[in-house]
Amino acid sequence: MIDVQNLSKDYILKKKEPGLKGAIKGLVMPVRTTMRAVNNLSFHIDTGEIVGFIGPNGAGKSTTIKMMSGILTPTEGRVLIDDIDISKHRKEAVKNIGVVFGQRSQLNWDLRLGESFELLKHIYQIDQKDYDRTIDDLDKILGIREIMDKPVRQMSLGQRMKGDLVAAMLHSPGVLFLDEPTIGLDVSAKYALRKFIKEINKVRKTTVILTTHDLGDIQELCERIIIINHGELMEDGNLNEIVDRIAPYKTLVVEYYDESAPEHVRCEMTEHKGNVAKYRFMKKDLTAAEIIADLSKEKTIKDVSIEETGIDDIIKIAYGT
Amino acid sequence: MKKYLYVVKTQIITSMAYEFNVYGNIIMQTIIMITSAYFWKALYKGRDMVGDVDADSMLTYVIMSSVLSVLLITNVERRIERSVDRGTVATDMMKPINIFGVYFAEDIGNILALFFQNMLPIILIGSLMIKVPAMADIRDLPLFIISVAESFLINWIIAALFGMMAFTAFNIDALIQVKKHLLRLLSGSIIPIWFFPPAVQKVLGSLPFVYIYQLPLSIYIGRGSRAEYLSGMKIQFLWLLGLSAVFFYVQSRVVRKVMVQGG
Amino acid sequence: MKKALNEFIHYLDVTAHVIKMAFMTIIEYPANIAGWMISNPLQFIMGFAIIKFVVESFGQINGWNYGQLAFLYGLSVISHALSMIFFVQGWFMGYFVIEGEFDRYLTRPLGVLYQFFFTNINIFGVTDLIPGILVFIYGCVKCSVSVNLLFILQVLIMLVGATLIRGGIYILLGSTSFHTGSAVDFGQYTQEIMDKTTMYPLSMYPESMQFILTYLIPVGWISFYPVSSLLGIEGRYNGMMIPFVTLAVGILVMLIAGAYFNTGLKKYESAGN
Repeated sequence: MIDVQNLSKDYILKKKEPGLKGAIKGLVMPVRTTMRAVNNLSFHIDTGEIVGFIGPNGAGKSTTIKMMSGILTPTEGRVLIDDIDISKHRKEAVKNIGVVFGQRSQLNWDLRLGESFELLKHIYQIDQKDYDRTIDDLDKILGIREIMDKPVRQMSLGQRMKGDLVAAMLHSPGVLFLDEPTIGLDVSAKYALRKFIKEINKVRKTTVILTTHDLGDIQELCERIIIINHGELMEDGNLNEIVDRIAPYKTLVVEYYDESAPEHVRCEMTEHKGNVAKYRFMKKDLTAAEIIADLSKEKTIKDVSIEETGIDDIIKIAYGT
Repeated sequence: MKKYLYVVKTQIITSMAYEFNVYGNIIMQTIIMITSAYFWKALYKGRDMVGDVDADSMLTYVIMSSVLSVLLITNVERRIERSVDRGTVATDMMKPINIFGVYFAEDIGNILALFFQNMLPIILIGSLMIKVPAMADIRDLPLFIISVAESFLINWIIAALFGMMAFTAFNIDALIQVKKHLLRLLSGSIIPIWFFPPAVQKVLGSLPFVYIYQLPLSIYIGRGSRAEYLSGMKIQFLWLLGLSAVFFYVQSRVVRKVMVQGG
Repeated sequence: MKKALNEFIHYLDVTAHVIKMAFMTIIEYPANIAGWMISNPLQFIMGFAIIKFVVESFGQINGWNYGQLAFLYGLSVISHALSMIFFVQGWFMGYFVIEGEFDRYLTRPLGVLYQFFFTNINIFGVTDLIPGILVFIYGCVKCSVSVNLLFILQVLIMLVGATLIRGGIYILLGSTSFHTGSAVDFGQYTQEIMDKTTMYPLSMYPESMQFILTYLIPVGWISFYPVSSLLGIEGRYNGMMIPFVTLAVGILVMLIAGAYFNTGLKKYESAGN
């Protein structure tokens, strides 16, 4: 479906120095430097996958997704969508993609929502029957019909997001790109968005590629994640496998009746504050039950809980922060 | 006061951030100035004096009009429009600093940056390629400076008043255009109105526009007597007073309206 | 051949729809209509009056009488108005580049320049058109030109060419933003220069400048050369074919502008990276 081969992108930056003196210097002798935002990325995405791109700000996620959707021209390498090079045959390749980019809307601000869809109907040459069917389908998931006659400028952020999702899916593309789709959305809008992505992926077999800062999105939606940092591919694979590999441990939190806490030979006490102690243990050679059994021989336990290593810990570790 | 000075300084730095804009503007203004100079040279071909002015003075007029046009660049109308559009008016006005003062300081900062970036280069290029724009009578310099200061203020207040129409009309783009055209064509910035028929001149003399461009430029090139300058400046000053009064009145109305309705 | 025809029909279909949407947008904001109805005609009526005053003060301008100047001015304003309808977005290209507004055009299966201009088509430009036509008719009467089929064809052809030249120049200037990364708007300057060079006879300027304005920045072809040929005024270029040369120059300028725009688009950086 999508083939990314040795993809790189350079930006040219203007160096700016602070203060009035810096401003004058920049005017007379501007200094330019090249910055590599994305370096030699290669991966392959199959039809029907949902892939999450994660990484810190400025890691190159957005740059990558923008090259994949034909917005930016790669400095090196190429992106193939169904074997078509998107930067060489843009018009042909983009027929098969839909795009929703966070806070940038493709809807006409001044007119009712339906007018924006009408325009897309003409642009993508969708015939009336397909158009009606798609709207019907999407209406079932998002309830779009009830806001079709509302001017876009009067819509809430959540409603506009729904409008943009429908706009991106009207021509039934094989791939849907989402760049930070949940930014600024309230809980119910976020829920609707995730439901929408799952539905179109299941029913229409749409391949979904998204970047997000919201780890809930990732856990809820993605089987596969790609971690990018400093423009380099750090990890690419199954979400659970990556979690197990990078963080093969869990943490047991034990509360006692007083401030002394016993050590355990096979795990590490990472924290001891007041009556509470935390024990980190490897998932493969120990279970929580065994540790509790051992510890309760030494001291009476009041309460226990387990901290799973989540995707956010993975990211912290992967980014080295 | 210190706060406003800080705004001025920040704006100077912002205005310098894009060297392409700076050079692009100089090139464009140079082209306009040279085209205008040739335009007048062609019109004056074979004639000494037209409208009490000779070709040489007309060239000085062209150069100084270009310089003055840089001084009369304002952003205040756009700034007001944007803050109304984005709905930040209410919070802007709640700040412990007068928002119109900030806009004024920004425009001052912009002009200070443009002084070196545009005015000096234009005078230099004009001197090299057209003629040295010497003042006709250096003793009128104080009058010239005062009248330029007043024309700057009148121009700024008119811009601010047009900007404040954003509170009533939905979109003021068209109004800003109207103002631009009125100023361009009726102020003598491109064609001095002494070439217009006397009746038209009389009408325009009672509008504020000619006091923005033509009055200071007439003083500079020495068209007319000192008595005429002074009587012109008297009307200019009256316009400044009148417009200031309107400005402060409208401003207080606008602030009250925003405070009551929340923007 | 069939494919090209289908594509052409597709673009026509989208264009018709986009114009419909532009009218709907205008109706959404009735307050703006009045503003533009006053602003645009005002500018050109005043501009025309000023030409009259200049002629009265100086007599003929380089041998052109008032009727001939009206003819020139009218046609210049008409092509200006057409360029405002179709190409005014070029003035604001910098903002689109900086704000990342090209993203949406790049992800749709139509030409980027086409979408940029036509999805933002400026119907209000019509308000410039009316004063232009009026002054042009006035000029025709004053010069007592004989209106026949050839004349109408020549005028239409030169207007298409002139509009393309203007549009091409806007694109060339706007596309610099891709390379400089700044949102500078040269619209007002461009118009000021074009006013002086297309509304007055080019022959009043010195040879060197005429050369530049004929071959390097071909604004001479927007109005001066075709109007000279239509009115039979002797000059550098004469003959009934001159309006067609204007069209050819317009197409050439557009091609160059399009190529320059495309090299710029390769450098497009979107926003917020």
